[in-house]
Amino acid sequence: MRIELHNLKPKYMSESEVAGSDIYLQPSVVFEQGRSYLVRARSGHGKTSLLNFIYGISGQYDGEVVLTESGKRKAESGERRTENATHPALTGTPLREGMANARTENELRTSVLSFMFQDLGLFPQLTATENVQLKNRLTGFKSDAEIEAMLDVLLPEGKKHQPVATLSLGQRQRVAAVRALCQPFKFILMDEPFSHIDSENARCVADMVMGEVGRQGAGLIVTALDAIDYFHFDVTYNL
Amino acid sequence: MLRKLQRKTLIPAQIAGYALTLLVGVAIVLLAVQVYCDLKPLLDSKTDVFSAHTVTVSKNVTVFKTANKEGLYFSEKELKRLKEQEFVKEVAQFNSATFNTSAAISFDGQRMSTDLFFESVPDSYLDIESDEWQWDSTSDFLPIIIPEDYLNLYNFGFAESQSLPVVSPALLSQVTFSIFVEGNGKSKVYNSRIVGLTGKINSILVPEDFLRWANSEFGSAEEKGSSRLLVEFSDASDERIPQYFEANGLNINKSELETSKMAFFFKLAMLFVTVIAIIIIVLSVAFIIMSMNLIVQRNREMFVNLHNIGYSVRDISRFYKVVVSVITVVDLLLAVLLVLWVRGMYIDRMSALFQTGGGFMPMLAGTAVLMALLLVVCNLFTGRVIKNITNRQ
Repeated sequence: MRIELHNLKPKYMSESEVAGSDIYLQPSVVFEQGRSYLVRARSGHGKTSLLNFIYGISGQYDGEVVLTESGKRKAESGERRTENATHPALTGTPLREGMANARTENELRTSVLSFMFQDLGLFPQLTATENVQLKNRLTGFKSDAEIEAMLDVLLPEGKKHQPVATLSLGQRQRVAAVRALCQPFKFILMDEPFSHIDSENARCVADMVMGEVGRQGAGLIVTALDAIDYFHFDVTYNL
Repeated sequence: MLRKLQRKTLIPAQIAGYALTLLVGVAIVLLAVQVYCDLKPLLDSKTDVFSAHTVTVSKNVTVFKTANKEGLYFSEKELKRLKEQEFVKEVAQFNSATFNTSAAISFDGQRMSTDLFFESVPDSYLDIESDEWQWDSTSDFLPIIIPEDYLNLYNFGFAESQSLPVVSPALLSQVTFSIFVEGNGKSKVYNSRIVGLTGKINSILVPEDFLRWANSEFGSAEEKGSSRLLVEFSDASDERIPQYFEANGLNINKSELETSKMAFFFKLAMLFVTVIAIIIIVLSVAFIIMSMNLIVQRNREMFVNLHNIGYSVRDISRFYKVVVSVITVVDLLLAVLLVLWVRGMYIDRMSALFQTGGGFMPMLAGTAVLMALLLVVCNLFTGRVIKNITNRQ
């Protein structure tokens, strides 16, 4: 599978703001499954926006986001619906082509794309384990034992059964990372995953992610403020 | 896990508020339906052979008219004027017999006999099986209708004081007796049976065909006018009716009008109560929808998060739909039990006084309709509220 971006630009950013970007307003940017990408930019340059466009959370963009199985564009796709879809380029509708086994947005989010959100999106009243299980219940991808094992590696003793509200930001980030791995995916999107984690733990998380990415033969897109040396990146884009 | 997360978002006071208001609204509607069904036979007055909109009208008997009976008869002009009134649908005249009659019955070896008089009204005013109310010149069977008061007079007065058995309307209709008709030097004996009772006409009625024939056969030729009229109103509760009759010195069986008026007000009150109750139901539904809205707004982040990690709107809204549906169904079943309980309190006393009727079917059908409607509306709106918030920005 590949993700193609054509002349992409957030609606709320001016052309001068995105000038010099390797991705925004470029006629064609392609992310290939099986490769890893770093998207680097200072804050406020639209890193989160880019991932939101790909994941389908936000439609506030001009240009095209195309998810395609074969790499060959098909004529039209109604995968993403907007009421007055005249042309995808005008309406900001990402095209999801050839995703025959991912008919709905929810299926896409549970079997094609995985997203570790910058704001984590955890449920503070649930424990770390429950947060991960909440996702895993949808996919049935990992066993309870596997989840426990992953959390044991990343969290201090006894933390996994505490409500997430009582965990530190770094600990929460690790819970979110584990949750993102509890599903089959062809791409995993990670939005500043190590912003609050020390280098030792970051390496642990990175190893775990790379292991899962390797097993699934998936693509990896990571955003960060600076270069990250925990991962080996095939391509680095400056946003 | 999802349920654990969502259970805490519910606002118990609001759920209870919905349950209570819905229960009150539904119970009132169902009770109104049930009471209406139970009282329907009374309202329709099916026990009488005359319809509820018909009354008898006569002129007031005064000192002056005692001597001159002509004053009691309605003239052509008066008839025409009455017919022209807006609230009058139809006017029919009574025909009276102009011959002598008497009835005799053998009872316990004794023979009792009494003089009678006959009158007739057009058959169309009588609500009676037509095969019972028939006479032809070859037959010697003559059906008659007597006033209810006669039976009451016998049962509660005569039978009581003479230690005689009381007679029910059903038993009375089994008794046969003989009727003697004579006049113009001719006479004839008929077998007779009481085929109906009426509370509206203080007279003994025979089929109109018979009276016409018998008047020409046995009666004197002199033509008398009518002293009594049968008047059918289009709406018996019209307030101009008592005014008109008062002003024209006419006598009207007022209790009949009162009953009809009461029936009208009863129906109006029932309608009013039902409308109020339906408003309560609508408000309770609006309340739970607003409560859902509040829950969603309060927990906006949680709902968006759930949607972002792949939970569909259906997954997210299922819990709330189940909660609302269960409350609604339980509420309606409670309301049915409540109505049956209340009915149990009044039905014994009522059925002792008059005939009650109607089963539970209309009430249960109403419950089913309400339930279906409420479930559809509540589930639809709950789903919509959650869908709105999870829409892509």
